[in-house]
Amino acid sequence: MRVMRPIARLAEFALALGILVILWHLLSVRVANATLLPSPLAVALAWVELLRTDLPADIAASLVHLGVGYGAGAALGLALAILCARSAVADAIVDPAMELLRPIGAIAWIPIAIVFFGIGRGVPMFLIFYASAFPIFVNTLAGVREVDRNLIAAARMLGASPRLVVTHVVLPAAMPLVLAGARLSLGVAWAAMVAAELTGADAGLGWRIFWYQEFFAMDKVMAVILTIGVFGYLLDLALRRLQAALTRWSADTRAEAA
Amino acid sequence: MTLPLRIKAPLIFFPALLLSWECAVWLAGAAKIMPYPSGVALAAIRDIADGTLIDAIAGSLRRVITGFAVAALLGVPLGLLMGLVEPVRRALDPIVDSLRAIAPIAWIPLALLWLGIRGNAALFIVAYAAFFPFVLNTIQAVRLIDRKLVDAARALGASPLLVLRAVVVPGAVPTVMTGARIAMAFAWGSIIAAEMAIGIKVNPGGAATVGLGQLMVSTLYVKRDINGLVLYMLSIGLVSLAIDHGVRAFQRKATPWQR
Repeated sequence: MRVMRPIARLAEFALALGILVILWHLLSVRVANATLLPSPLAVALAWVELLRTDLPADIAASLVHLGVGYGAGAALGLALAILCARSAVADAIVDPAMELLRPIGAIAWIPIAIVFFGIGRGVPMFLIFYASAFPIFVNTLAGVREVDRNLIAAARMLGASPRLVVTHVVLPAAMPLVLAGARLSLGVAWAAMVAAELTGADAGLGWRIFWYQEFFAMDKVMAVILTIGVFGYLLDLALRRLQAALTRWSADTRAEAA
Repeated sequence: MTLPLRIKAPLIFFPALLLSWECAVWLAGAAKIMPYPSGVALAAIRDIADGTLIDAIAGSLRRVITGFAVAALLGVPLGLLMGLVEPVRRALDPIVDSLRAIAPIAWIPLALLWLGIRGNAALFIVAYAAFFPFVLNTIQAVRLIDRKLVDAARALGASPLLVLRAVVVPGAVPTVMTGARIAMAFAWGSIIAAEMAIGIKVNPGGAATVGLGQLMVSTLYVKRDINGLVLYMLSIGLVSLAIDHGVRAFQRKATPWQR
């Protein structure tokens, strides 16, 4: 198989991006209304200006929301999944509870979260926490349950202690699914974060969109939107790299990389 | 007769939870600031009887279905193009990925500006959210088609048109359908967010309620009815369950050769 040359790949991307920007520019010239459709140049200038002024604080605020919420959500999802895998009683209670809550998307919680936490940073943190718990829970439980019994039996027979079996057989075997769940969680959490910041917070990238909308500064709104896209993409890329690095041996990972 | 644990444990746990929740709220005298089960049930009777809930759900669902259809009409052809022409896929992949990373709801200010508050802005958000699952799954569907089956059909003398109809389409449809299921779930999730964002911006008086999201906003800021909020939340969950079951049932009917 031919190895993709990175330069050719970059050129293709630059071409597509260039065409997109030119189309956008032509459309903005045609519309001729800087509020209705700011030109790419205006957005780029607004972006540069914002990067020097407001954006770093907003990005930091959003990352704090994400860090706290996602950390707590992932920890809860993992803990509940492990609890379910170990105890039949916990499984009989937690599993239906999660299945009942799961269809209620994080966004449906926004009004209740506003009632309990007030407009502020608690709302996005809670929403991210809620949104990220489910994919990790579901995937970890599936991962732990699908571990090949023969592998466990073989390790036991060769004299491995139960603890060694967990750290060297169960965890590695469940890892691809856990990481896939982590990636899924991050995507859902990112969208929930923007929605929560837009409707119920006083800091973060989503809130900044709402803020500039009040001034009809659409070039700045678009600059913030692009920032959200770039950071969402980078976070996913980081987890994808982590996934590839930690589970290089897995057939799923190799299939995805191909 | 003893029931199995999987049935017995939840059967004891959940009623006990609801009962102790109800008692705790009343004992603490917190019925004004905390939702409680009987209050939610009363809110449900009230809102179903006067049609508020059904109207709001119908209003939201209408926009979800329209946005979903728009997303399918745009997403499937783009996915086909990207799946069939490798350079196009390589060039557009990063662009699709980064657009996908933008939470649909972030577009709300521009959507409002371009399409107005009467529901078309929410429609844009829904279509945007549902677009990407269609694109990604169509690409995947095209790439997963077994070349050997295509070659075999060609070798046995099938015309390209017959190959398309008898091999390619049946091979691709199940994956596209899975994309449709994800798209529908995204669409339902984002309509609520979009309606909430629009409602907060436009409807401070809560006068014109057109969807479940707007209903939630007016309940939150105007009526301050916390039991109602819990009821709408549960309704959102029930509708998404119903949608998922509906799409799955359709999928089984439409692609009986799968499993």
